[in-house]
Amino acid sequence: MRNSYLIFALFAIFIMNNNAAKAQSGQELVDLCNIIADDATYLKDFQVKLDAAKPGEEKPNMKFSVVLSKSTQYRFSICNSKDYTGKAIVSLYDNNRLLGTNYLVATGKNYPFFDFKCQSTGVYHIFIDFKEGEQGLAVVLLSFVQKL
Amino acid sequence: MVNQLNNMFRRLIYILVLILVFASCKNEKKEDFSKEFSIPDSVLYDGDLAISEAAINDIVQNISSPVEMAALIKSLGVPFSKDYLATTDYVDNYNTSYKKAIGLGVFGADLGYLNMYNKTGSVIDYISAIKTLADGIHVGQFFDFTTLKRLATNNQNLDSLMYISVQNFNQMDRYLRENKRSSLSSLIVAGVWIEGMYLVGEVARRSPSAELTEKIGEQKIILSNLMLLLKNYQKDPSFKELIEDFEEIQSLYKNVIITYEKGEPEAVEEDGMLIIKQNDKQFIEISDELMFKIINKTAAIRNKIIQL
Repeated sequence: MRNSYLIFALFAIFIMNNNAAKAQSGQELVDLCNIIADDATYLKDFQVKLDAAKPGEEKPNMKFSVVLSKSTQYRFSICNSKDYTGKAIVSLYDNNRLLGTNYLVATGKNYPFFDFKCQSTGVYHIFIDFKEGEQGLAVVLLSFVQKL
Repeated sequence: MVNQLNNMFRRLIYILVLILVFASCKNEKKEDFSKEFSIPDSVLYDGDLAISEAAINDIVQNISSPVEMAALIKSLGVPFSKDYLATTDYVDNYNTSYKKAIGLGVFGADLGYLNMYNKTGSVIDYISAIKTLADGIHVGQFFDFTTLKRLATNNQNLDSLMYISVQNFNQMDRYLRENKRSSLSSLIVAGVWIEGMYLVGEVARRSPSAELTEKIGEQKIILSNLMLLLKNYQKDPSFKELIEDFEEIQSLYKNVIITYEKGEPEAVEEDGMLIIKQNDKQFIEISDELMFKIINKTAAIRNKIIQL
């Protein structure tokens, strides 16, 4: 009987630890994204966790603003947590215009990263939401590729 | 049999309680740690914040990047010079939170410059100074001194040295913002900016180039964003002085003219990679005379900041 208590306790601890190990942390996603960014130099990361969109409501999103410099090529890398179904869509805006996104509606293609060749120093806005308004956790990494 | 089962459940409950106690102790420790140095800006500034602390978290990021400034200098083929760097000899004289935060920014920019040129021999002095200052404002836990020192000493994996150091600065910044200590975060940004400007200015003095002139001119946009951040704390005498100094630079920038020509952005796929090309044009007009006035003013303010 004593052995069965011990086995049960060890099993409970194993289950708890195993669950903890499985959950992907923001830091793990940042490290992963830095690998995807390849030889680009890490500048910033944006961590986003959003709930699923409620029926009849707009998809939830998050906005970040960054300064980007003229004659510079930047890379936006996107890493989705395997713990959630949501796939992040990153849209880059200047003051009032959409400049680009990692998800092309026309082709249905989702890119793990995209480069932005910036020609004007200023404030840019990054909007992040999840495809189909699903719940998700993602990291978007901004890195420096080269001076143009 | 019933007794045995009861006994088993009782023991099981003890075990689960123990596990929960251990788990909660672990969390509690984390929480206590995060509460360190948690006097929020709203208390320090007694309701005088022009922008709410929540709004400050939405404020523009990447205002000044040590990586980008250093990359520009290196891309021009300008040789490394230690003369440009702020000395770490008097780090103990950074004896207030204000001085520590702005010093962190200054040394952070210098570390970016050293890393860009792979000058690992000097890196250790700077990471030691940064660790001291970071500890001084209770964000030292985010600066992985041991790993950085090992990487620098062994002269290995220099990409990791850059990655970890930049990320550590971002973690400090995030922690300060999330714990409503955005005033210190703003000072770090100001320190990175003034030192980055100083580096570019000194390089422009010795090796002038159109790229550097333009870089100095475009800082008009960056400085206006930075001022927005700093002016939130203008009731603080230290900030007031810094703002007045930066306003002197800003008044010179009034004569820098920036114009735009809008173009349509395009998305192209090259080798399976998505590239977004911005087809806008930005023209920056700045005379050499004005540029040198800005460089001189920046150098004077930067030297005042590091002269402790």
